Amino acid sequence: MDWLDFFQSITDGLLFGSIYALIGIGFTLIFGVMHKINLAYGAASIAGAYVSIAVAAYVPLPALVTFLIAAIASGGIAFLIYLANFRFIPLASPLATLMATVGMLILIDEIVVHATDGMPQPYPALFADIYIEWGDFGLRGDLIFIFVLSLIAMVVLMFMLYRTRLGIATRAVAQQPVAAQLAGISLDRTNALTFVITGLLGGLAGAMIGASVGVLSPLLVVPITVKGLIVCVIGGLGSIPGAIIAGLAVGAFENFFLAFRGVTERDMYVMLLLFVFLVFRPGGIFSRSVARD
Amino acid sequence: MLEIDGIAAAYGNIEALRGVDLLVEEGGITCLLGPNGAGKTTLMMTIAGILKPRRGTISFLDRNITGMTPSGVVRRGIALVPENRLVFPDMNVHENLVAGAYLRLGKRKSQVQQDIDHVFERFPRLQERSKQMAGTLSGGEQQMLAVARALMARPKLLMMDEPSLGLAPLVVEEIFRIISDLNADGTTIFLVEQNAHMALQVADHFFLLEQGQVTFSGKPGQLSEHEVIQRAYLGKGPQRNQPAADQGRPDRTTLPSG
Repeated sequence: MDWLDFFQSITDGLLFGSIYALIGIGFTLIFGVMHKINLAYGAASIAGAYVSIAVAAYVPLPALVTFLIAAIASGGIAFLIYLANFRFIPLASPLATLMATVGMLILIDEIVVHATDGMPQPYPALFADIYIEWGDFGLRGDLIFIFVLSLIAMVVLMFMLYRTRLGIATRAVAQQPVAAQLAGISLDRTNALTFVITGLLGGLAGAMIGASVGVLSPLLVVPITVKGLIVCVIGGLGSIPGAIIAGLAVGAFENFFLAFRGVTERDMYVMLLLFVFLVFRPGGIFSRSVARD
Repeated sequence: MLEIDGIAAAYGNIEALRGVDLLVEEGGITCLLGPNGAGKTTLMMTIAGILKPRRGTISFLDRNITGMTPSGVVRRGIALVPENRLVFPDMNVHENLVAGAYLRLGKRKSQVQQDIDHVFERFPRLQERSKQMAGTLSGGEQQMLAVARALMARPKLLMMDEPSLGLAPLVVEEIFRIISDLNADGTTIFLVEQNAHMALQVADHFFLLEQGQVTFSGKPGQLSEHEVIQRAYLGKGPQRNQPAADQGRPDRTTLPSG
C-alpha cells in the first residue's frame, strides 16, 4: 500500500462514518434518557428509507425531499416502537423491553421483506456525478453530501438539546429522572419525544445509506444495528460527542480494511475492534464525569 | 393548607404508609420526624405525585390532589426538595435553575430570568458558581441549589426531605437559617428531618412518624426533646416491642430511607 491509497481510504471512510455517527447517536440518546437499548432502531431507520422510495414511486420527488420523507417516516416508526415496546411494558425488567425490541427488529425486517419480495430496491443518489480531484486523490460528491447533511443534523440536535425547552427536559430526565419529575417534566412525554428525535436522525441515516450504496436491502439492517452498537460502546454509552467521534473512527477503520483486506474480511476487523474496546476501554474513549457529593 | 387523610402506600407487598393523617398549616413550618424506614420519604414522594397511594386522600388548598401527576402537583404550588438533593449533575447551576422553572419556560421567559436573579440574591454562592457543573459543587452548595431549583417553581408550599443529611454542622445551621428566612418571606414549609434538635428549633408544629403511622402531633415543648430524639432516631413507638439492641441495625433494605 502507498500513502495515497491509505489517505484515500481513510478519507472516504471518515465521510461515510458520519452515517454511523448518526446511528450511534440514536442508540446512545435512548440509552442516556431511558437506560434502555432499542435494538429495533436500525430496522426503523432502514424502514423509513423504504417508505420514502415507496412514496417516491407514486409521486416524482426531488431526492432531498425523499430524504426528508425517510426521516419523518422513521420518526413515526420510532414513536410506534416506543408505544409497543416501552410505554406499556414494565420498564423495571431490563430483559422485557430488550426482547420486545428484538421482536420489533425482526418484525420490521419481515414486513420489509414481505413488501419488497426480498428484492433490493434502487435508491436515488445525490451529487453522485460530482468528483473533486487533486491529482490521484479525490472526493466523491455523494460522500461529501452525506457528511455535510450529517453535520447539519448533529448541529440541529445539539441546538435542540442545549437551547430548547425540550432539550432541558431530555437532559434532566437523562441525568436525574426523579428530580426531573419534581420540576414538572413528564417522563412519558420526554421519552416519546426522544424516540421521535432519534427516529428522525435514523431515517436520515437510512436514506443516506441507501443513497451511497445505491440500493436498499433488508440485508442492511443487521450490520447497521451492530455497527451502531459498536459505535456506542467505543464512544461510551450515553455520550453524544463520543458517538460522533466513534462513528467517524469506525467508518475510517472499516474502510481502511475494505481497501487493504477486501470486503469479505472488513467486518471481522470491526468486530475485533469491539472486543479490544470492551477489554481495554469498556467505558469508551471518553469516560463520563462522575458526580462528587 | 395541606391535608393528608388516611394515606396508605406500598412497595409491592411491603406497606410503607399505613393510614397517615396529617395537617400542614398555612404560613408555618411543620416538621415530620421519625426513624429510618418509618415512611417519611415515601410520604413526601406520594404527596409530590411520584408514588400513587393505595388509599386515602391528599388535599391542598381545599382541592383534592390525590393521585395527580407530579407536574399537576407542581402546578398547584407544591415543590419538593428531594432527599440527597438530586441536582442535575451534568448541567451547570444556571441550567439547573432553568429546569426548575420548566413549566413556565417558553411562555414567561423574562419572568424566569427575574426569578433566577432573585434566587441568586438569596444564594450569592450559587451566583458565583453559575457556570459550574452542579455535580462538582460541595454537598452544602448542592443542597442550596436543590432548594433554589425548587423555589424556581414558585411554590406556595415547599417540602424538604432531610436537607441537613450528610452536611457539616456549620452548613446545617446555614440551611436552617435559609429555611427560616424562606418561611419569614411567606413560604409555608413542610420539613422532614433526622436532625430533631435543629428541627424543633424552627418548627411551629411537628409530627412523629413511626412504622408508617403518625404517633404524635403537637408543638415543640409538648414532648421533651429527649423523648423526641429517642423516638425519632430509634423509633420507640408504642407498637414496637423488640429489644432496643435490635433497633440500631443498619436500615438499608430495598426501601428508601425515611
